Amino acid sequence: MMESLSTSGGLAATELMMRFAGGRQRVLAHNIANLSTPGFQPKDVSVEGFRASLRAALDERGGRGGRGALEIDNGEVVASLSPSGVGRMRLEPGTASGNILFHDRNNRDLERSMQSLAENAGMYRVAAELWRKQSGMLKAAISERV
Amino acid sequence: MYGALDISTSGMVAQRTRLAAISTNIANANTMLRADGGYEPFRRRSVQFAVGDPTSANPAGRELGVHVASIEIDQSPFRKRSAPDSPYKDAGGYVKVPNINTAVEQINALEAARAYEANVVAAETSKTMMGQALRLLA
Repeated sequence: MMESLSTSGGLAATELMMRFAGGRQRVLAHNIANLSTPGFQPKDVSVEGFRASLRAALDERGGRGGRGALEIDNGEVVASLSPSGVGRMRLEPGTASGNILFHDRNNRDLERSMQSLAENAGMYRVAAELWRKQSGMLKAAISERV
Repeated sequence: MYGALDISTSGMVAQRTRLAAISTNIANANTMLRADGGYEPFRRRSVQFAVGDPTSANPAGRELGVHVASIEIDQSPFRKRSAPDSPYKDAGGYVKVPNINTAVEQINALEAARAYEANVVAAETSKTMMGQALRLLA
């Protein structure tokens, strides 16, 4: 019963957003740590790809009456009915958009890296706040005290 | 996401090592003797970065971050300066001086400082995100 409580409604989607943003934070920190490394190409994971697969999984779950856990399978979000709901998110970073190639064969782009960092932190914060609000509603329902 | 702090820290450590090498070069821009007094002009040091962090405790974290692969000693030839009164002069009256351009070193130091600052910002962002995750418990 706890399983269906935590995977119902929007809690599952916001939890997945947080996990995605947390994984993306590592990729972005890796880019910033390697600003001066020769031969390094900054990478990023596709936010649009994640959103599209999350949307598709939610639609599919909605088609089944809104039940079932959302799992991460190979970087794609899938909806399933299995009880385990623990999936390992594996992000497949692709090369970021082209920037000029410096003499050390590193096409770093400090401005875009910082912007991606700020956006990712914002996305994580939004997901965390939404999760708290929904969890708060659940608590209010359980304790029968508004 | 806890790995993100390790990655940013490895970036800070690498840039700090680079700044140490640059400071060594600037401090020894005119050094001509070895520590024991022998005549050997100072050769410029430079650091080589490589992706990955072999000191990471987590095996998955060994491919992320950055580390100093080696500290190279510049083998380019020394410059020569005319010094007819020096005890170390060669046949033509020249002494060899270190081939260090302090202007170049200062620009490299600027870049290392900015890269360090970028890593600090990334670490602060990771910490803020972790703080928000902790607030979920409230």
